Amino acid sequence: MKRVLVADDASFMRQMIRDIIEPEGYEVVGEASDGVEVIDKFLELRPDLVMMDIVMPKRSGIDAVKGIKQEDPGAVVVMCSALGQETLVMEAIQAGAKDFIVKPFKPDAVVSTLSKVLEKGD
Amino acid sequence: MDLVKYRNLFLEESSDHLAEMSRALLVLEKDPTNGEAIDEVFRMAHSIKGMAGSLGYDAVTELAHKLEDRMDRIRAEGRVEPGEQGTPLLFKGLEGLERMVAQVRETGEAPPPDLPLVALLDARAAPPVQGDGTRGAPEPQPKKVPTP
Repeated sequence: MKRVLVADDASFMRQMIRDIIEPEGYEVVGEASDGVEVIDKFLELRPDLVMMDIVMPKRSGIDAVKGIKQEDPGAVVVMCSALGQETLVMEAIQAGAKDFIVKPFKPDAVVSTLSKVLEKGD
Repeated sequence: MDLVKYRNLFLEESSDHLAEMSRALLVLEKDPTNGEAIDEVFRMAHSIKGMAGSLGYDAVTELAHKLEDRMDRIRAEGRVEPGEQGTPLLFKGLEGLERMVAQVRETGEAPPPDLPLVALLDARAAPPVQGDGTRGAPEPQPKKVPTP
């Protein structure tokens, strides 16, 4: 079972991701609500994948991707963005994110993106 | 999707976010260059937009999106402009969101849009800030030619 760390400052969104991916066989091993906590939890939990909002308090999603990739260049990070944030998404990909999903989430798209990036990462 | 569960989460979190936004706007009223407060309002609008979008509350999504865009522009410019287009307009945006969230709480339904407020907040319609912190004059409108 693939282990996922979910980072978003809204517990609403963390819960929604959990409800989408857990029935598909992913285990949410931890949650973080800001860009500092996600790096700490990443180091503690060493998940197979991090799903992270692009806009977060303390450190932005882009900063947090950089921080995670610095600690582990092989880390797999998927950004959660909204329409109209294409520039930020490009920055996040350049910083090392593998892919992105767009809010509002379409469950099929979320699951297929996770499956795709984890295949690539294997 | 368990709509009741998510509606309750939305009501709880958006009320917290709106209270945070209100506190940050009060800071900006006194200190229009406060970067932390500018970021805070941007993030709260972004978060409300994401939650509302997931529940199909299009009017909330649209209004939060306009406020987020406006805050993004303010962030790039480094300050909230003085006058009615500054914090008074941002407070109007906040009040609009509060009204819509209250409607969701009372009726359980998606609230109707507030198109005049959305148009007021449209950051793209505002000319850039000048050296004195005010915005330039709006683009001149073509004169109407009277028809005989």
